[in-house]
Amino acid sequence: MDLLDFARGPALQVAAYILVAGVLWRLVGILMLKEKPEFSEPRKPGGFMAALKVIYTRSFTAAPFKRATLYPKMLAYVLHIGFFAVIFLFVPHIVFFEGFLGFDWPGLPNNVIYLSGVAAVVAGLALLVRRLTDPVLKLISNFDDYFSWFVTILPILTGLIMPVRMGVRYETLLAIHILSVAVLMIWLPFGKLGHTFLVFVTRGTTGMVFERRGAKT
Amino acid sequence: MKTIPTLGDILQAQGVSRRGFMKYCAATASLLALPPAMVPRIAQALEQARRPSVIWLSFQECTGCTESLTRSSSPTLEGLIFDSISLDYHHTLQAASGDAAEAARHAAMEENMGQYLVLVDGSIPMGNPGFSTIAGISNYDMLMETVEGAAAVVAIGSCAAFGGIPGANPNPTGAVSVQDLVKDKPVVNVPGCPPIPMVITAVLAQFLTFGQLPELDIHGRPVAFFGQTIHDRCYRRPFYEQGKFAETFDDEGARKGWCLFKLGCKGPITYNACATVKWNAGTSFPIESGHPCLGCSEPGFWDKGGFYAPLSTGNFGSGGKLAGAAVAGVALGAAAAVAGRRRQAKYTKEA
Amino acid sequence: MTLKDPIRSPIPYNRGNVRPLLNEIIHALDRLLDDDEPTVIDLASLPFAPGELEELEQTLGTGELTAELDALGKSFIRETEYPGVWWVEHHNTGGEVVGRYIEITRSPEILMSQDADVGAGRARLRDCFEHSGPELNKEAGK
Repeated sequence: MDLLDFARGPALQVAAYILVAGVLWRLVGILMLKEKPEFSEPRKPGGFMAALKVIYTRSFTAAPFKRATLYPKMLAYVLHIGFFAVIFLFVPHIVFFEGFLGFDWPGLPNNVIYLSGVAAVVAGLALLVRRLTDPVLKLISNFDDYFSWFVTILPILTGLIMPVRMGVRYETLLAIHILSVAVLMIWLPFGKLGHTFLVFVTRGTTGMVFERRGAKT
Repeated sequence: MKTIPTLGDILQAQGVSRRGFMKYCAATASLLALPPAMVPRIAQALEQARRPSVIWLSFQECTGCTESLTRSSSPTLEGLIFDSISLDYHHTLQAASGDAAEAARHAAMEENMGQYLVLVDGSIPMGNPGFSTIAGISNYDMLMETVEGAAAVVAIGSCAAFGGIPGANPNPTGAVSVQDLVKDKPVVNVPGCPPIPMVITAVLAQFLTFGQLPELDIHGRPVAFFGQTIHDRCYRRPFYEQGKFAETFDDEGARKGWCLFKLGCKGPITYNACATVKWNAGTSFPIESGHPCLGCSEPGFWDKGGFYAPLSTGNFGSGGKLAGAAVAGVALGAAAAVAGRRRQAKYTKEA
Repeated sequence: MTLKDPIRSPIPYNRGNVRPLLNEIIHALDRLLDDDEPTVIDLASLPFAPGELEELEQTLGTGELTAELDALGKSFIRETEYPGVWWVEHHNTGGEVVGRYIEITRSPEILMSQDADVGAGRARLRDCFEHSGPELNKEAGK
């Protein structure tokens, strides 16, 4: 079995098992926790609508913090949108999803995707530099922060190298790319990358509580 | 050792004119993908070249490689046999049979000891020598005996080069490739199912003209013909880049000649000359005729997950195992939640 | 569309093999006129998209001179519409194409009578002359 067969076969299989088990473990583990009892009077109705409202409003920075957070926020948007485009709008990836979802959707031309990937990596590098140079961020950053950054950027980078080759054979680059995706799949449920499936759960929960207490949301 | 006449002697004896010889040299240069400026050098080399003796061994094969070679147009196979090489042993093409044929093989080996070429098609079964025999001799014995005095061995077709279809899962005969067995002689792999005929003759022409074997890649294949992937030379590549793919074999995209990636094309990981040299004297090749590349010149191409499964699909294992992982996750989560709730209750009570 | 209509694979767009080739031929003509230096372009080495080879052949066209060679199969040598630009196509005895070249030269090498052939021909003619001497004289005398 060569590297590519291993990457497309056992590596992806094991990564899929770990991803599914890990995501369900964290989700069920959190959702099944008992709600803290609220002893105060509700100022506004809380509930599900409040959760939805805050998921929306939290997408926009509160006015006092707008100026200070503009730079990292722009970078983060470029990183996320670029990453989203590369994963879900590149036709060979769409074919990958179709393999187990059973349906597909239209994609974008390859050069547009390539540009998105480059933008995402550049934004990611800028964010890393910020994390390493800002004194506060440097102090509070831990292994989770750096490793999550690494396993996110690596698949994009290996994907960008594939058309360029850099003297390496295509099937080797493809194998390395698939293996880097497997690493991302394995780490995703366990660190801060868990925000992919938790961000709206947590925002919604915060929203429900704060709305009920009458905070400005 | 018998004096072997040069090719120049033979062509002259056959009444081939100098113009005819020039044509032959030009065709050989084209075949070897050498620039026209090399033609005088080829002419010089060919004039002095001696016809090498060639012994062709056929093992676990479907004869497709020989069929492919008989379609070779440049030079013609008949021309190849009679003018360029001395094909002293070949099951399908030789007139002799039985003991006479084996005697011819031994005679050729003795007369040309150390100088003859061995061409092999078909894989060699190691599970049981009786799976494939010729004149009562097992494939393994015949191969090892014949290569002893060979100058070089050329493994023709994916079966001889990598094990091919007999070697595919579950490999009931224990089929192995030539390079798995022959370790002390230079081995050139010319894979493909079958290989492009021109590529087979180019390797022989290279040996005949320059007395040496071509430059090889990591799988022992001539770089001149196996140095580029189909994907990098495919005329449908612009459609791949624009995101235009055929979804089924008869849809609008297929009729318009769009990229066949979604139909399982293995072009990106397949190294062969199909996209440039093409088949049937440059008529077409599978993708041009509307079928995705099978990757037939790569090791183990039968077991790469299916001809019609796109290259970027994963193999996630059985649904059952994934469901098992899901159940495990839920169980772990529930256990964590129960422990969490106990902690919550304790703190709430303490508070 | 019926079953009888063949589905032809179309060219995605003009793959652009013809124009650069024409440019190369122009530069080769420069070298021919300025330095008397010939050029040979092997068309088999170029990855033509379907239809492009025909397009090239049509663009170059046929000129004043066409020659047919019969040696180890037929060969067709013709000057294109552009003098100095020759289309040389070699076929084998089976009628299959074994070589296709564009030669930018005053006259392709293969058109010239070759020394070896001239020598062999001279030997044959001498032979013929020496052995048929008396008869020939008789014929002349009639």
